[in-house]
Amino acid sequence: MNQTALDGVRILDLTSEMGWYAGKLLADLGADVIKVEPVGGDPSRGRAPYWNGAPGRETSLRFWYFNANKRSATVDLGQYDGRWLFGELVKTADIVIESWTAAERSELAELGLDPVACMDAQPALIWVSITGFGLDGPRSGWQVTDLIAQAASGIATLAGYPDGSPMRIAGNQAYIVAGISAAQGALLALLQAEATGAGQRVETSIQEALSICQETAHLQWDFQGVSRERIGEQHRMPGIGTYQTRDGYIYSAVGIPGFGSPWSELIRWMDEEGQAEDLTEPVYAETFANFNMRALGMQEELAKLAPIMNRAQEVLTAFYASKTSLEAYEQGQARRLLIGMVASPADIGDDEHLKTREWWLEIDQPTKLGADDAHVRFPGPPYRLSETPAEIRRPAPQIGEHNQQVWVDEVGIPAEDLIAFAGEGAV
Amino acid sequence: MTSQTSLNGTTAARPLDGIRVADFSWFGAGPIAGRTMADFGADVIRIESEARVDGLRLGQPQKPGKSGYNVCAYFNNFNADKRSFLLNMSAEGSREVALRIVERSDIFLSNLTPRVIERWGLTYEELCEVKPDIIAAYQPMQGTWGPHRDFLGFGAVLTPTTGISHLSGDPDRRPVGVGTNYPDYAINPGHTIIAILAALRHRRKTGRGQRIELAQIESVAATMGPALMDYTVNGVNQDRKGNRSTWMSPHGIYRCADDPSGRERWIAVAIRDDAEWESLCALAAGSSFASEDRFATLLGRRRSEAELNHAISDWTASFDAASLAVHLQSVGVPAALVQDAEDMCEHDDHLAQRGFYAYLDHPETGISLYDGPTVKLHETPGYLASPAPLFGEHTFEVATDVLGYSAEEVAELTASGVLS
Repeated sequence: MNQTALDGVRILDLTSEMGWYAGKLLADLGADVIKVEPVGGDPSRGRAPYWNGAPGRETSLRFWYFNANKRSATVDLGQYDGRWLFGELVKTADIVIESWTAAERSELAELGLDPVACMDAQPALIWVSITGFGLDGPRSGWQVTDLIAQAASGIATLAGYPDGSPMRIAGNQAYIVAGISAAQGALLALLQAEATGAGQRVETSIQEALSICQETAHLQWDFQGVSRERIGEQHRMPGIGTYQTRDGYIYSAVGIPGFGSPWSELIRWMDEEGQAEDLTEPVYAETFANFNMRALGMQEELAKLAPIMNRAQEVLTAFYASKTSLEAYEQGQARRLLIGMVASPADIGDDEHLKTREWWLEIDQPTKLGADDAHVRFPGPPYRLSETPAEIRRPAPQIGEHNQQVWVDEVGIPAEDLIAFAGEGAV
Repeated sequence: MTSQTSLNGTTAARPLDGIRVADFSWFGAGPIAGRTMADFGADVIRIESEARVDGLRLGQPQKPGKSGYNVCAYFNNFNADKRSFLLNMSAEGSREVALRIVERSDIFLSNLTPRVIERWGLTYEELCEVKPDIIAAYQPMQGTWGPHRDFLGFGAVLTPTTGISHLSGDPDRRPVGVGTNYPDYAINPGHTIIAILAALRHRRKTGRGQRIELAQIESVAATMGPALMDYTVNGVNQDRKGNRSTWMSPHGIYRCADDPSGRERWIAVAIRDDAEWESLCALAAGSSFASEDRFATLLGRRRSEAELNHAISDWTASFDAASLAVHLQSVGVPAALVQDAEDMCEHDDHLAQRGFYAYLDHPETGISLYDGPTVKLHETPGYLASPAPLFGEHTFEVATDVLGYSAEEVAELTASGVLS
């Protein structure tokens, strides 16, 4: 087995779904991540989609994906003994990550489970809080979900059609970005702590972390006093936008200076296949050749050229419609034309490129439902580190699967005490 | 470079003090990763050239009434706190200078295509010849090998190829993406930084550097895990479902009253359980949905979701969205104004009080808005010590102070077109 980048780093992961990704990123890079769950399990364990479509806390594909590599220990932080046990566990940890609500946070602090006190007692400890809006400020107490964060961060207003409602980006992206932000913060603090011995509080506000995805909207407001609006289907010029194919859609971005082959190559392609019609007349190639990044922002310029643009759009639309999405994507890219296929999960799952790169991982995942493990194909990691690759070393844990290991073998609670704690429901 | 000073005059240690980054990237995904490292103390040298100007320097928005390479906020925001060094990699003798930068850096960063990396002679193996423990991070679109290795792209092309476009938006309409180059901003730079920080720790422990390959298509697809697994495990090919949730109901974005200038105003509401639904109904007493028993349970609400959404829209239509969000949150209901840029920059008292946005004085654009660091470290916080560099602003300084060239050598390298 390779040495891992985060060898010897122990992380307690108390997060709900909102914070799962942070622990996953760090666990895949080698940290020992213990998922500290309430007795009965993390309430977000039961989220769709499910293995074989069978709902349950031990069959959630979503849970498996974000919690592989973690171990599970249960504890009831509402009980005194549970908090004492947790305190013993914290002493073995380098990093704690939680995504408590403001109400949970103050309730636990009143009961004596206070991050500040933990850090005072253990100066090298890093405590990461993932919250919707941050630990201070007038909205620090606000409830958050993925949708709420996407709305509050200025990105939902940019997505969707101008004549429809603002739109949420798929994939719980607010939670993904929260995890990325928190994992960055944890690693920065770890480098600092290992150099100086001093840990610290790390704080992710999902609203802030996600807000950088506004692209230039906020910058445009700052410079021009204009709020950018969603454009939906609007084609800024022919060659840029979503086009229908024989079996789906592609996104075409041909004609942006500096990005791949120019429009003349698109005309050549259509011509070679006998579908260029009158676009071979020099006026088309010349018009598109004179475009630059600035021209794309000038609506008046574009309006003057409307007859040429409309004709080019018409011919191009018919051309793309004659191909499958995969044909348009692969043949276009072979000519260095910037075309992306609007890929469904099936298209990605079957993609030859990702298969050739052996990106997917095969995992045997216990399900508790049957005797046999589920054999599942996992998406691979976001990056490939040559010396310390991100890896899946164990499937996602069942509820409390590592109680004995964690509490008895590692924290040193006598086995008979653990039985007593279990009897009162503290673990 | 000596220790930096934050805007409020404090000098604080940061986790990446003493780390130097040779930033050979351009556009979004690379430079943003470099900027985060700069926020946290690294000396980031952004390599640029007149022969290959970063398209964002020529993009929008530009400061009104100004022109040139230094006035585009799109570029400036992603390059604050860096040094700009001109190096024309097409000029004879340029590679030697590039390798001298690498030799004196800890991290090499590039989102150039594999073809360009090979042409310029900046592969990991080549970098190791001058700097054996370099951490070299490459961000090719689809990786440096595989049948699609030379495919081109950027954020707006990755959104469709990774499933985000297919799964986002109204099921009855065409998949048109999400309105931005979404993966360029948080996903790809963020994953890159995590890989680099992990590699830095490994280097501290073992003295060994390494090569990082972040194929952007893999980095974005990794965020879509559950939907991909529904296919790879169950054979289910999911489709987009608008703003609906698999388990929350109602869950949507609803039109409120336009503001006096006619600006559309919307509110997002997400109801996670029956208790939150009751809280909403208590506030909405008198609405068409509040007293309907059939909506009291999740199942009932889901069975009539379209009808319910219409009823909620009818109710929200007369409200001021921002005040309604405050009311709903005050009774524990997840809700938020759908903020636009004006809201984010002018009216969001919460963001302002937390001091998220930085306003830096730039020689050509004046006081301008920059994104703050996206994670807050309480003891060693990131901060922006300086605005974006002017094009080539630090060429002489870097050539002499970092690379050790004499003033005469710099003059020669400039005259021969290497430093241009």
